[in-house]
Amino acid sequence: MAGRIEKSLLIVIAFAALALPQAGWAHGPSRQKITETIEIDAPPAKVWAAIVDFHDMSWLPGVAKTTGEGGNEPDVATRQLTLDGGATIDESLYKYDAGAMSYSYRIDKVDVKVLPVNNYSSTITVLPAEGGKSTVEWRGAFYRGYPNNDPPPELNDDAAIKAVTALYRKGLDNLKKKFEASK
Amino acid sequence: MIGAQAKACFTWLCAVVLGCGPAVGAEAFITDQSGDEVSVLDLGLKHVVARIPVSGKPAGIAMADGRTAYVTSTEGKHVSVIDTASRKIVAQIAIPDTPLGIAADPAGGFIYVAGFYQPRLYKIDLKAGAIVASIEVGASPSGVALTPDGTLIVTADRDDDQISIIDAKTFTRKGTVKVGAHPFGVTVDPRGERAYAANVESNTISVVDLKAETLLGSVATGKRPYAVALAKGRGFSTDQYGGTVSVFDLATLKPVKRISVGDYPEGIETSADGNSVYVVNWFSNEVWAIDAETLAVTAKMPVGDGPRAFGTFLRETL
Repeated sequence: MAGRIEKSLLIVIAFAALALPQAGWAHGPSRQKITETIEIDAPPAKVWAAIVDFHDMSWLPGVAKTTGEGGNEPDVATRQLTLDGGATIDESLYKYDAGAMSYSYRIDKVDVKVLPVNNYSSTITVLPAEGGKSTVEWRGAFYRGYPNNDPPPELNDDAAIKAVTALYRKGLDNLKKKFEASK
Repeated sequence: MIGAQAKACFTWLCAVVLGCGPAVGAEAFITDQSGDEVSVLDLGLKHVVARIPVSGKPAGIAMADGRTAYVTSTEGKHVSVIDTASRKIVAQIAIPDTPLGIAADPAGGFIYVAGFYQPRLYKIDLKAGAIVASIEVGASPSGVALTPDGTLIVTADRDDDQISIIDAKTFTRKGTVKVGAHPFGVTVDPRGERAYAANVESNTISVVDLKAETLLGSVATGKRPYAVALAKGRGFSTDQYGGTVSVFDLATLKPVKRISVGDYPEGIETSADGNSVYVVNWFSNEVWAIDAETLAVTAKMPVGDGPRAFGTFLRETL
């Protein structure tokens, strides 16, 4: 079970030896962006309550554990997601607006074999929808996994977009299920 | 000078007395990197009036006299020369690296393009339509700017946390000045005395004395500043993670205000009359106008997908 979830969450790639020119903040030439949304038949405040804690990513399938510190304080809070397969993603919070039901974070450290992106930042927001429902919007901005010219296919722009889109769909669909399954 | 006054006078006559504002004025050439096009935004009409297909993910742009726009395509590795009046690409120049930052010599003879990975600055002779020289600069050169007299070229060498100062005539590097962490955009003031570098990682703007080649100071901004514009004695930075424009006083280097704008603002430039600052919002696909005096947002104009307009992108149409 865990293995199946992991495979669907992660991009499992057989890697050739890649000569990455620079560590750190290096990235490809063209930043990508995606926005995924879902409508949930529950009031915005209730949906926000499910994602309100930066240190609780239990609503994202494939995340086994979330640890961290700093509460929900921007520029202070950090978290580490441990995925079902044992891989980790280090993230930090840089914006948190409870009034707007929105927070923004970036990935500080991730293996491109886990998520083929660089310089990734993301915002998740709960918006009111018609009829007392909610829309959850999850947005990401990132560069591809291969930071130099002429990327291999598994680390190109399309691979990055595909991976992040799949991740967001999984999280959003699961959130919806959480609220609507009991109805 | 008389020409400029006459033009200003006519602009006033036209806008205020005759009410034909949109006919004169200005356009913004916005590089839509995701959309593979340049949106031509009429700043009077406040909407896009033309779309010019540009292949290879257009990102950087330089505008010298307004008749020609020079656009870098990061994936296509070329510079497109666009005739702004006819909206046509009249030439395309191959660059042997990923080009991003670009600046145009005010005299019209040359353009300078930074190759992001090698890392080198390329000098392109516009008559020949070819690279005629290149020099080494610091790692990951991003922004490129010129002094208004065209004598000095400045590059923001992102991964070396410095700017390079280059003598344009001899095309040799005169010196480097350490700035904050990861400078991306760089802007030179109208007197050609100071360079302002936006330090993405340290959330500051560094101010450099170009003659003395020294750091004069720095000012705090919102998160991840990318580029800087100058207007009415103030600096304006686009803060990508902040979703803000940070305004600071150029004399005291003290913050003045932070203005909420669209998502992931990047390109920013002041209008020729100095009254407006135009902000290009990459994620939300909009150009916003800010009144440089009151600091109020005066317009929000949709453009194509993934607009960056990294460089100088405004032109006057009369």
